[in-house]
Amino acid sequence: MTKTSKLTILLVLALVSIFIALTIGPANISVTELITCLTNECHNSVSKMVVWQVRLPRVLVGLVAGMGLACAGAILQNITRNPLADPYLFGIVSGAGLGATIANLSLANQLTIALPLAAFLGALFAVVIVLLIAKALQRIDQLLLAGIAVSFMLAAITQFILYLGDPFASNRVLFWLMGSLTRVEMSHFTIIFSIVIIALLIILACHRQIDALLLGDESAVSLGVNVDKLRLLMLAVCAALTATIVAYCGGIGFVGLMIPHIVRQLIGVTTLPLIIGSALMGGIFLIWVDVIARTALANAEIPIGIITSAIGSIFFLFIMMKTKSN
Amino acid sequence: MPALLSVEALHWRINNKDILKNISFNVNKGEILGIIGPNGAGKTSLLNCILNHQKSFTGTIKFRAKNVKEYSAKQLAQHFAVVAQKTVPIFQLSVFDVVRMGLLPHKSMFALDSSYDHRQILLAIEKVGLSDLKNNQYNQLSGGEQQRVLVARALVQKAQVLVLDEPTNHLDVYYQHQILQLIKSLNITVIMTIHDLNLAAQYCQRLLLLDQGKIIANDITNNVLEPKQLSQVFKLNCLREQTPNSSFPRVYFQLASDTGSGEKVND
Repeated sequence: MTKTSKLTILLVLALVSIFIALTIGPANISVTELITCLTNECHNSVSKMVVWQVRLPRVLVGLVAGMGLACAGAILQNITRNPLADPYLFGIVSGAGLGATIANLSLANQLTIALPLAAFLGALFAVVIVLLIAKALQRIDQLLLAGIAVSFMLAAITQFILYLGDPFASNRVLFWLMGSLTRVEMSHFTIIFSIVIIALLIILACHRQIDALLLGDESAVSLGVNVDKLRLLMLAVCAALTATIVAYCGGIGFVGLMIPHIVRQLIGVTTLPLIIGSALMGGIFLIWVDVIARTALANAEIPIGIITSAIGSIFFLFIMMKTKSN
Repeated sequence: MPALLSVEALHWRINNKDILKNISFNVNKGEILGIIGPNGAGKTSLLNCILNHQKSFTGTIKFRAKNVKEYSAKQLAQHFAVVAQKTVPIFQLSVFDVVRMGLLPHKSMFALDSSYDHRQILLAIEKVGLSDLKNNQYNQLSGGEQQRVLVARALVQKAQVLVLDEPTNHLDVYYQHQILQLIKSLNITVIMTIHDLNLAAQYCQRLLLLDQGKIIANDITNNVLEPKQLSQVFKLNCLREQTPNSSFPRVYFQLASDTGSGEKVND
């Protein structure tokens, strides 16, 4: 089967997943009812409200958040040449978490604007620190270790602020850090979707340069690639993607680690099929994880980050064992 | 005919140490130039300056009468293809994937591979004799096969100058000759650093002998591989004999305490 056929299958699966996921949830909505609601001919106002205001934003945000996180992971793994790289392990999520925590506790009244902005600034802050450390060490292979160190440092500061803060606000932040699609709206989808599309365009514009890095820096330089600039640009793209997603959906870890590895095995390692495949598979994965999150417990939701982290940590160990045996 | 590449009064100093001193030479179109010399002589540094990967040198390096510093990195990659000493692949790149990288300097941002590109990649893989392995993983190939894949990438790159840094390192005798024979058969300009002087004698038309950052000799192979000169540079006694039925010489080295047959020249 060609790469194009595999990607087409993934695209169909993504569309089918969106459709089926809209029918699943505490309120019973049949396929026929869903179609009538989506075509705006719905007579049942409750079903209409559930479809348009609850499920559609959730499913669409799940789709684009999964797309963005998987692409960020794939790019980070390629540019750091480390199969274990993931936005979560890179300080980006912790940085976004710190920014969001500060915004949540100090600017509670203007959260709609302040939270994503603060999360984005926090993520950027983390990336700058990681880059400065890596530059000081003069070793790109240390980028991930620097990321983990920065991640722990920023998480410690976040926890300290939460410990000192108002318990109610702290609870809100803690729940947010676990990741959830409960409170997402269509406007969030529009913002994340725009960022994902811009990021995808930048990544696809550089796909050959990113491919060249797969054979080492020296090889990429000989093909005319400005390796330092490319790394910086891609780190900024990953920071923007992750920060925006984390700002609206909270901490959803390990999607960026797992999905690209599966795509590399199933479709290919070069950037073009990897990114398109990761985007589609990441979207499908997060749609279904969210379905589990909202249906697994009878009267409560499981934060989505708990599920992705549970699956991801096992996958992480699996990759480590595989890397060792190779 | 003007030289394809000309290096004039090249000097590179870093950390208060002169790495290259007053280097001047020309490379003509179609010739195979070997850069020889002991470790630390400045061979790889010279390649890095020619490729403009090292920019802090003084003097001028001109490619087709234009200073290399005036070319963009992408333009230089359209003219110079590099076969590095050792590549460090990550993930399971196929032979096809690696050769495909050669398209990079000729493609605009969003350009996809055309069917013509696809044919060029397959032709290049065929030319280096790896058609049967085109879907195999690059990191599971032997060192010699990996070098041939990189030569195929250079062919797709359509460069006019092939630059090789120790292409025979880590290869057994069979693969050493196979890769150099392949390079010779391409009929393009080649600049390579090479440790094995007998391979240099056999495959290079001209040699540049470097020592401590200076050019000691720049001449046709037969004239550079002079025992007296080599003895001084490599600090070993050098013996030379003519290979039977061929035009190139063979050189041998021995420590001063060793004894052996042959023409001992540096007693």
